[in-house]
Formats: sequence, C-alpha cells, structure tokens
Amino acid sequence: MKRFLETGNFAITEGAIMAGCRLFAGYPITPATEIAEAMSKNLPKVGGYYIQAEDECGAMHMAVGAAAGGMKTMTATSGPGFILYADPYGWAIGCEIPIVVLNSQRVGPVSGITGAPGQGEFYNARYPTQGGNYETIVLAPNSAQEAMELTVEAFYLSERFRTPVTILADQLVTDGLEDISIPETDEEKEAMGLRFMDRKVHMGPDFYPATDEIDLPPTVLGKNTGAMCSDWTPTEEGYDIETVEAHHKPSYRMIYKIRNHTDVIARHETLFLDDDPDIIVVSFGTASRTVKTAVKKAREKGLKIGMIRPISLWPFPDELFNKKSTYLSVELDYDGQMVREVERAMPCDSDIHFFGKCGELPTVAELHEIFDKLLKNEPLKPEGWEKEVW
Amino acid sequence: MKDRIEILASGFGGQGVVRLGQIVGVGAVNQGFRVTMLKSHGTEQRGGYVRTQLVLSSEEIDSPLVEDPDYFCVLSSAAYKQFGHMVVDGTILYDPAMVEIDENKTTRQIAIAAKETAVEKLGRPIYANTIMLGALTGATAGLLEKKNMLETMLKIIPKFKEENKKAFELGFSMTTS
Repeated sequence: MKRFLETGNFAITEGAIMAGCRLFAGYPITPATEIAEAMSKNLPKVGGYYIQAEDECGAMHMAVGAAAGGMKTMTATSGPGFILYADPYGWAIGCEIPIVVLNSQRVGPVSGITGAPGQGEFYNARYPTQGGNYETIVLAPNSAQEAMELTVEAFYLSERFRTPVTILADQLVTDGLEDISIPETDEEKEAMGLRFMDRKVHMGPDFYPATDEIDLPPTVLGKNTGAMCSDWTPTEEGYDIETVEAHHKPSYRMIYKIRNHTDVIARHETLFLDDDPDIIVVSFGTASRTVKTAVKKAREKGLKIGMIRPISLWPFPDELFNKKSTYLSVELDYDGQMVREVERAMPCDSDIHFFGKCGELPTVAELHEIFDKLLKNEPLKPEGWEKEVW
Repeated sequence: MKDRIEILASGFGGQGVVRLGQIVGVGAVNQGFRVTMLKSHGTEQRGGYVRTQLVLSSEEIDSPLVEDPDYFCVLSSAAYKQFGHMVVDGTILYDPAMVEIDENKTTRQIAIAAKETAVEKLGRPIYANTIMLGALTGATAGLLEKKNMLETMLKIIPKFKEENKKAFELGFSMTTS
C-alpha cells in the first residue's frame, strides 16, 4: 500500500490507471487541470495516450471514439466543460460506449468562481445530453480517497452497463489534499472493495438486445464482428432506421438496463437512523463532510439527528427516504436542487427544509444553528431569503 | 493528545503559505496521522489573502474545515483581521513585521520575527516561511516531530538546503528556548 498526501486529482488518476484506463482526452480547466497534468505524465509510462484537445467538445468526442475502438478511456472537466460534453455524451449513451467522465463542480452558472466548490450540476449530471429516453449512472465522492475508489468503480460499472458513468466531484474533492492509500497488491485491492472488469468485445452480428440485459460487452468498431453502431434510431443489428416502432426498443434498453439493476450501482452512507431521528440531514460530496461532524456532535449533545449520504446519486436512491421525519437537504447551491428529489422520495407526511451555501462548505456552527431552529419549529431564513418556501 | 488538531496558515500570495501547509501535511502523514488540507485558490493568490487549513487526527477526518484553530500562523494584517477571531484557545504565531495584533486578545500570541531574521541572518526574505515552519514545529511541543519536519522540508524544497535548514533551526529556537 502506498500512502501519501496528495490531491483528489492525483488520486483519480491513480484509480483510472489501476482500472485499465489507457487514453485520456481532455482540455484543462480548474479545478480538474491536475488530472490532465498527471495523466499526461503517467499514461505514457503504462503504454497509454494523453491527448490535449482543442476544446471540451473535441476532447470527449476523441475519448468516445477511442472507447468505441476498444480502449478504456476517460475525460475530466468542470461545469463549463461538462456542458460542452453534451453532444459526445449522447453518442456514448446511444451507442452504448463505456467511458468515464469526471466533473469537478465549481461555482456556476457559466464561469462562476473557478477555485471554489459548487454542486449545481446535480440535475445536469442526470440529464447530460438532449433527447431523453435514458437513465444515467452518477457517483459522488466526498474525499480524495473515495474519488480514487469510485473512479475504479466507474470503470467497472461503465463496462457492465455499456454506458458512460459520471463521477460528480467538487473542487474540494479534486483540489484538496488528503492522505491517500493506493493499493498495490490484489489482496489490498480486494480488501478495499475495488471491482474490476476487462474490456471485452461483443461478437455481433447484433448491435444490442431489446432487453434490460447487462454484462454484454460493447461493440468495438474495427474488430470485424459484423455489428454496426449507430447514433440514429438503430435496428437491433445497428442499421439506421428512424422509425417510431424501432425506437421503442433501444429506448427501453437504455432506461431499464439501469433502472432494473440499481442493486449493482447503489451505494450510500447513513448514520444514526435507527431511533426515528427528529431530523435527517441529507447531503452528498464534500458538504457531507461537515454535515457528518455536525451530526456526530449533535448526538453527543443528545439531539436525535441522523444523516443520509447518497454516494450513487443517479439513479436517485428513493428507498433511503422511507422514514417519516424532518428532512434537511444541505447543498453547495442556492437553488436547492436535491430538495426536490428528497421531497419526491420521502413519505408524504414528512417535512423538507433546505440550507444552501456556494463556494464554501457550511460550517459545523452554522449547521448546529439550523438544527436548533428546526427542533424549535422556527422557520429557516438563509441570508438573502425572506422566507423558506419549497 | 486531542482527537483533532487544527492548523491555519494565512498571508499574502507568494509568501509560501501553501508550501508551509504542504510540508506540515506531508510531515504529519509521515508520522502516521490522517490529514486533510484545503488551500485557498484563484484570484486570492494574486495579491489577496491566501489560506491553508490543515486538520490532523489519528482517526478518519470528517470535516476538513478549520473552525477552532489550535495553531494559527499569520503573515499579514489582513489575514489576522479575517481569521484571528476564530482562535479561542489556540496559539497565534505572527510576524510583527507584517502583522499588527490586537493586544487585548487573551489567547497566546507569539511574535516570530520571520522576515527580519530571514533578511538579517540569511540575506533574503524568502526564508521567512521556513522560519515560521520551524517556529510552528517548536510550538506544537513534540506533536510535530522536529527531525521528521526538518527532513520533510528538505525533501520538498529542492534548493538552498543549508539556508533552509538554518532557517528552520532559527524558527524552532524561537518557540522552544
């Protein structure tokens, strides 16, 4: 086991190469630039390739192309680049091409604040491209160590599901430094719970089955398998057809291959949920770090407060929100994106509240103030808001 | 030992505040600590304040935020004004050449003449942050081990090893003698 102090960006690179990534195409952007930097140094050492593209749109197209040609590939960016991934992301979904995409969220919209964390791409990660008719897999780490482990997992899931997987990190995960343990032996990897899957080739002539089947290797172009691969509505053999009748089949597959196998994807962390807590705090990514400290300290004071942290963010883990309680969504955005999902998933006689910050983490002191108000049934009034209405 | 040690370092861009934090962080990892380190970023590095937040623990660290610093190394008045109030029971190490302190504050405040000593004894102000690193190491009374911190510093800063070694020792003696 190697152990050192490094950034999440570095940890992600280690995880990707460990998972078999051999091509990275990207365009540098704060706070994910160091991934490009580390990839450019480390990929050639293992026989891999680093490509700096002319922009993010080109970068992800290149990575998708290389993945369709049989390589395990990755790209990394932040919000302003992620939005330019929209077109190639759709290609990867529609053509069932495995690829790993990292989005280190900063403060938006548009360029926003470069060196500060945000979580404004909660929904954007769910709907990264146009057209609908698909589910997406999104994983959200809250530390450099977890970012490394989820990078390995993202490669595994992308192969099993024949689909892109997004790692939705934030600036503090990728730019912050932490002690990181990198496993070196197979035993160490197994002990850490890492899962790996080699790239295999689907021997056609069919392109896809009109079922929810997973563990089907991807079509690899140029391998002379007879399978076609099309971004237009395809037949099961992969020929363009563009008919309403034909469109139902790939749509069903893209939705239900993920929706029917969430047990393979689901990951979460929960704390103190066994005694019907008065408040359940919900958060993901680095916001959950201070939330966890705040919840533990509140318990020491005798307050009945619990915590839910979705790690697999999409598909959204509705089943975690089965308790009647007062829910509090803590997010690094001001518009309360996850509030809506929690509200949809929770029992209808529960309450939902929101505390948002942007560019910095909520402090433990701030969270304790919020807990106190909620326990006294006082309305929350975040700075700038007259009334908390959801 | 407390289950969680918080260290804050802040000053202007270019003073080596992030480097100081990195050396402390790597040194702490070498001693077996779990460590988180947040560094300020962006326009702040071009003239504004720069901040490094370090948390050390023998356990897994949840919040990486410094909210109650045990040690605050401060290299500018602006940083002192912005973060000084957070220090309640901790120790403030400040450079009197750059920081005007609040004399009424009840917490322990130690003057470390880092810039002046760097210029007088080593000829260049650039060694001020190494002097501060030595002073911080001394102030922690063994929590950060002197030999380890010195070796870590020499490994991370590739040049002027003799000068940096001397600077570290000078700083260390300011909080231990």
